[in-house]
Amino acid sequence: MATAGRQRGVTRRALLSAAGLATAALAMPMPVRADDPELALVEQLFGSTPVPSERLRLEMPPLFPNGYTVPLAFEVDSPMTAADHVRSVHVVAPHNPLIHVASFHFTPASGRARVSTRVRLAKPQNVIAVAEMSDGSLLMAKTWVVVEINGCG
Amino acid sequence: MTTPEPRVRAPSTAAKGETFEIKTLITHQMETGLRFDSAGKPIPRKIIHAFSCRYNGQTVFSVELHEAIAANPYMEFYARADESGTLEFTWQEDGGAVYTTQQTLTVT
Repeated sequence: MATAGRQRGVTRRALLSAAGLATAALAMPMPVRADDPELALVEQLFGSTPVPSERLRLEMPPLFPNGYTVPLAFEVDSPMTAADHVRSVHVVAPHNPLIHVASFHFTPASGRARVSTRVRLAKPQNVIAVAEMSDGSLLMAKTWVVVEINGCG
Repeated sequence: MTTPEPRVRAPSTAAKGETFEIKTLITHQMETGLRFDSAGKPIPRKIIHAFSCRYNGQTVFSVELHEAIAANPYMEFYARADESGTLEFTWQEDGGAVYTTQQTLTVT
């Protein structure tokens, strides 16, 4: 598989392919925070705590009738230099039957860490994006999207 | 199933150092594996699971796609114009098929 930047280990990929929260919890047991299950999910997926940041902007319509093709865009404020750039952005939809949406990999030659695509959502939920920066830090953003038609059936 | 068809919109010229936008699409059903046929049998998963953009041989952008990417996967992203050459776009499908298209870029 042709990807730019660092490949994460098999463990994480297997984890991210696993269908649903329960399997993720079994594979990497960590104390689950009852107050914020989404943060707990992201901690389990990435093995560390991402920081909610306005540098990562996740743009999706708050209400969209057709869950089969929901627009999704994100951008990370970053100079995209060799010393300071975005390595990857991962998107998950925790209430989809299969939660991982995509992982996007950048290099300084990307120039701008902005992507626009279209996704399927099964039901109203917070879509979560996590950005992996070149210094190893993790940024997080989420946005609530209501879809009227289940796009995953 | 009809053959997936890649489409790319990217500039043919750019100024050196300029960041330019690339829009790509490939026609593909992105069968999730979650659907059933009329006889009640599950339809197997068959999706485009990887996409990459190479610029003069160097990967500048790539994606691991999962079932939640919509049919006819659309990707809009950016690249920095460093030198003239070729932009090569590659899509990989479950089962091993690869689809590719290229475009030349002149950097002034």
